[in-house]
Amino acid sequence: MIRTALRYHRPSTAAEVSELLLQHDGDVAVLGGGTQLLPQMNRDQVHVSNLVDLRGLGLREIVATDDELTLEALVTYSDVLLSRDVADAAPHVQRVSRGVTGGKQLRNTGTLAGSACFAMPGSDMPAALVGLQAQYRLHGPRGARMVKASDFYTAAFATTLGPGEFVEAIVIPRGTGSTGYCKVKHSSGSWPIATATATISETEARVTLGSVQAIPLQIDVTDLIGSNETRRIDDAVLRERITAAVTDPWTDVLAPGSYRARVAGTVAARAFTELEGSLA
Amino acid sequence: MSTDHATNRSQAAADDAAVPGRSIELTVNGAPRRVTISDRDLLVDVVRGQLNLIGTKVGCYNGDCGACTLKVDGQIKKSCVVLAASVDGSSITTIEGVAGPDGALDEVQQAFWDNDAFQCGFCLPGHLFATRDLLDADPDPTEQDVRDALVGNLCRCTGYVNLVNAAMDAAERRRSNGSACPRRAGDTEGPQPADACTLHH
Repeated sequence: MIRTALRYHRPSTAAEVSELLLQHDGDVAVLGGGTQLLPQMNRDQVHVSNLVDLRGLGLREIVATDDELTLEALVTYSDVLLSRDVADAAPHVQRVSRGVTGGKQLRNTGTLAGSACFAMPGSDMPAALVGLQAQYRLHGPRGARMVKASDFYTAAFATTLGPGEFVEAIVIPRGTGSTGYCKVKHSSGSWPIATATATISETEARVTLGSVQAIPLQIDVTDLIGSNETRRIDDAVLRERITAAVTDPWTDVLAPGSYRARVAGTVAARAFTELEGSLA
Repeated sequence: MSTDHATNRSQAAADDAAVPGRSIELTVNGAPRRVTISDRDLLVDVVRGQLNLIGTKVGCYNGDCGACTLKVDGQIKKSCVVLAASVDGSSITTIEGVAGPDGALDEVQQAFWDNDAFQCGFCLPGHLFATRDLLDADPDPTEQDVRDALVGNLCRCTGYVNLVNAAMDAAERRRSNGSACPRRAGDTEGPQPADACTLHH
């Protein structure tokens, strides 16, 4: 059981959420899906006396416009897998959500924004969202602000969220090009060792690695796009570029950094191979 | 010894007095229930401890094993990663709510029984919920569909072969007795398939 004398708060406006977060700063957590937070509290690894549940705000909408796709904070993996708007505007989000560990029960519970905020190095969503050039809409004591996913992560389990701030929604731009994905994990019930989101558009090509370093790592490979019609990127050259870019690999109980650094190039190459399949 | 126990009990009572709590309303297996909980209680502990529905098991408290699976508002969830306070007002179905009023097994349970799909039985409620959830959405799954649907449930006895056989058999039984939900998983919008099928909830 959770050992702290926990108090549960269920505000109904974003302003009240920020007020509660500020009032209990340092002794409070936001409850999204709860799939990471609650086990950690149950194991006495996280000790906060206050939980602020976002359910009173709704925040379960998926909204698609001509320019972007908005996923509110309590949208679950199952929600995006059932959404035609997501399939149309950001199929990569479905691709990644389908592979989330824990089965349908966890996909019905865990939220994309929760994973984005948890900033766990060995997880799928932060790097996928960075790769899609997503932005996060934050609400704080001074109102709303937008932060690029690529600027959001500062270290393992650390973000730029300030006192009183929380993520209200994830905003993904449309038309950022084609995407490919590859994930290496060592059993179906485990966490990723390395992930790669490959993106290619008319003007640029990029790889975003997840789980390989403490925070998502973006690598520009635009100059490697082949000059012929297929625009194919040479595997060997790509691997070399990726390997050189991984300078501070992440070590945890699942894999040492040296292993992650070794597989990163192959994972990136496979993400591009998948992408070529979708272009054909 | 008895003094220690008495001291521990009074200490626990003092601790409890300092723990914030509330009263929540749930619909449990179709019947309204009002439950007094601590804010820090996980749903699985309320279901087992307060509601005495011990068919729901506790395995890992980490969202891994699936033994605590039940339905919350029509969706299967692992109740060890759900805070009870957050589901105030919800409708939950536990394994006790699956059997008919006379205690008869439904076709999924019977298929698990006939295929020796469990041994110790600890994981069984979770596997039954995951299988029913799949069959409510897709009456004619492939073996791979079944394996995908059971990926969030661990079993240390069977090696999964008989579990998969049982799920395939259950699908066949539902199709042949006419209880299979006609709605297909390909319908991706509107109510979720599991919600749309009212034959088995």
